[in-house]
Amino acid sequence: MKNQQPLFHVVKRESGSPARQLLAYVAAVVLALAVGAVLLAVQGVEPVTFYKQLLTMGIPGSRYPWRAVENFIKLFVPLLITSLALSLAFKMRFWNIGGEGQFIMGAFWAGAAAMKLGDTLPQPLMVLVMALCGALGGGLYGVFAAALKVRFGTNETLLTLMLNYVALYFLQFFAETKAPWNFFLDPQSARPKFAKFPEGAQMLTVPIGSFHLNLSLVAALALCAILFVYLNYTKRGYEIAVVGDSPNTARYAGMKVGKIVIRTIFLSAALIGMAGALHMSSAGVMSASPTNDVGWTGIVVAWLAKLNTLGILAAALLITVLQFGCQTASATYPAIDANFANLLQGVILFTVLAADFFTRFKLVIRSGKEAAK
Amino acid sequence: MKKILALALAAAMSLSLAACGNNSGSTSPDNPPASNPGSASGAGVSTPVDSTSDFKVGAVYITSQNDTAGYTFQHHNGITTAMKALGLDPADLIVVDNVPDTDDTAVANAIDTVVNQGANIVFGISFGYINAMNDKAEQYPDVIFSHGTGYMANDTNFNNYFGRIYQARYLAGIAAGMKSVELGNNNIGYVAAYNREYAETCSGINAFALGAQSANPDALVYVNKINTWGDEAKERQAAQALIDTYGCGVISQHCDSAQPQLVAQENNMFGCGYNSDMTEQAPNAHLTSAIWHWNVYYQTAIQAAMACEGDASKFVENMGGNAYYAGLKEGFVDASPLNESIAAPDTQAVMTAVRDLMISGEWDVFSGVKLSYNITDGKVEIVKTDAPLMCDGVELKDGSLVDRDFEIVPAGGPPVDDGVIKGSMNYNVAGVIEG
Repeated sequence: MKNQQPLFHVVKRESGSPARQLLAYVAAVVLALAVGAVLLAVQGVEPVTFYKQLLTMGIPGSRYPWRAVENFIKLFVPLLITSLALSLAFKMRFWNIGGEGQFIMGAFWAGAAAMKLGDTLPQPLMVLVMALCGALGGGLYGVFAAALKVRFGTNETLLTLMLNYVALYFLQFFAETKAPWNFFLDPQSARPKFAKFPEGAQMLTVPIGSFHLNLSLVAALALCAILFVYLNYTKRGYEIAVVGDSPNTARYAGMKVGKIVIRTIFLSAALIGMAGALHMSSAGVMSASPTNDVGWTGIVVAWLAKLNTLGILAAALLITVLQFGCQTASATYPAIDANFANLLQGVILFTVLAADFFTRFKLVIRSGKEAAK
Repeated sequence: MKKILALALAAAMSLSLAACGNNSGSTSPDNPPASNPGSASGAGVSTPVDSTSDFKVGAVYITSQNDTAGYTFQHHNGITTAMKALGLDPADLIVVDNVPDTDDTAVANAIDTVVNQGANIVFGISFGYINAMNDKAEQYPDVIFSHGTGYMANDTNFNNYFGRIYQARYLAGIAAGMKSVELGNNNIGYVAAYNREYAETCSGINAFALGAQSANPDALVYVNKINTWGDEAKERQAAQALIDTYGCGVISQHCDSAQPQLVAQENNMFGCGYNSDMTEQAPNAHLTSAIWHWNVYYQTAIQAAMACEGDASKFVENMGGNAYYAGLKEGFVDASPLNESIAAPDTQAVMTAVRDLMISGEWDVFSGVKLSYNITDGKVEIVKTDAPLMCDGVELKDGSLVDRDFEIVPAGGPPVDDGVIKGSMNYNVAGVIEG
């Protein structure tokens, strides 16, 4: 009998309880780890030991455990701030794919300030100046795309995406061009190489025993709280949500949509630029590709968390543990290289997204009765 | 549908469980499991149980440790070979790989990880690791740091290493020069990552050109710069352009892949490779390559580090200095076996004679003495002539070409200082043309 019906269709579930969703996420991570375990076992690596090292990030029993924590924070802070900032734009349905570029521009201007003023200003002021320069550099870079969208209706996805590469090569030009005017480079070196920032431009830390608490972590957590309030309890936060849902409704309600878009994108890009600035200050030296891909990973984090501020905190933490833990765990296994670590992260993300899909939709398989009709 | 899924899941679970059970039975919990116990070499398994077996080697790589060719592969191979020779198990090597040298935080992080896992010596193979290596050497005085291609060092636990690859390039230049005489075509091509921007590329081009000129005084070396250390498409285009534009009959290279040799073969031309013996890839074109034997350094360094017996500050003293710079004499660099089926007659004899001369230390490439060869019945007589080492009259200073003296070394003068060859050479010798 001829049958026109597809094998199954996707049907939206009536309601998903938060508990059910959480369960689905946990199941997804377990499934991904099981897949990873098979792959590890095939390569002759004992999965349990590997996972134990991954989740503890190799910290217990290592020579300098506090240093591992410090490094973890250095990876975590930029990702957290960038994801938070991206969620601002995404809430408004402005597809800011330009996190990489805004981060680089922030890093660049903060670096310029550090090289020019690092010797003259006291350390706390200098770090603040770097953060401001970074915020301004990143913010203006983002506003460029927003203004074009508001004024001429250009596609922000394409524009922000392409501006990433402009920023990347802009910074690379400074990294590789040896010339008397290029104050970023070490004049002593025959090969182009970034000079270290003066002492004053290094990130402030609070010593707790051997451990040095990077103050950018405090800033990032404070930002998390502020954004939570901003998005949920202020008029401007509400405006973002309305513009995101329907620009026409916003207009009808008397909101100036263009102004809101520009303001919000400036804020989003400025925060990403500031993340770049804080990251440079923590590193103490410029780098030609300083982002650690946070502009991309931040998009994943923001959506994993469904743009929920506290969810972003959790998701950013999870992703950083994965990244950092995979590196540490794979260091002692010759068979496991960084590519495997990336693969494992990919599998986990994939299953979590699949779980997310299946908590919201279900597949209805064509029943025999239906087919008979 | 559900059944299939459930089955697959069950299979996956049981497989992974079985694997866990297997492995945990064979390794004690204190010892990190030696993965691939089957593939570990026989020599490595019977490591003597003494203080040396606690010695841990660490490395930070720019690409994957599982690469099968290229820069990281050469170093990884060198380190594991050296470890085997010293009775260490290569499976115990601590590696963080795919570490971009353009992200200082990532490099510092990778070094911390390697140190935290217990490495006693850390090798960093890329130039861009230089800032982080220097910082970490200061931060961890009880760990030894060794940086390839760099120039920073201290007097205790931090050195750098590189080799006189220019000597091997000179030998390859001889093969190219003799082939150009045979072909009756003085134009030789050179696909280069960079030229005067880096002493490493610049000295390589110059040495190759001088080698070619020793065999063919009229030889011209056309350099095509691709501005990246490795990009197969660009390497291919650059080689083809050298053949199409200048009619070059021999193509040499300073870039990662064997593409220039493949292009030479496709055009029925000839070539000299780099890094590994590329006769395998281009058997009808490839003459010889300038190659590294990294294990020579790694074995020396690991041995010196083990001899420190826990006091990392003695490393530089044990190495006899903080800048290792060895060449043909130590076996650190060499020309790969000549492809005699296509090389010009007597090439091997000339290369051997010049190689012996350099090993003896009587003569070096960048000096005021030129070589030429009298060949009678396969016997080679090297003729030394006092002649000034000349450049093309310009050098690269702060990003732009400026005029300079033509004469580098007066006739009969001593070789150029090692510091110049390693760090600041920024001119091309006469006969090199950047196209």
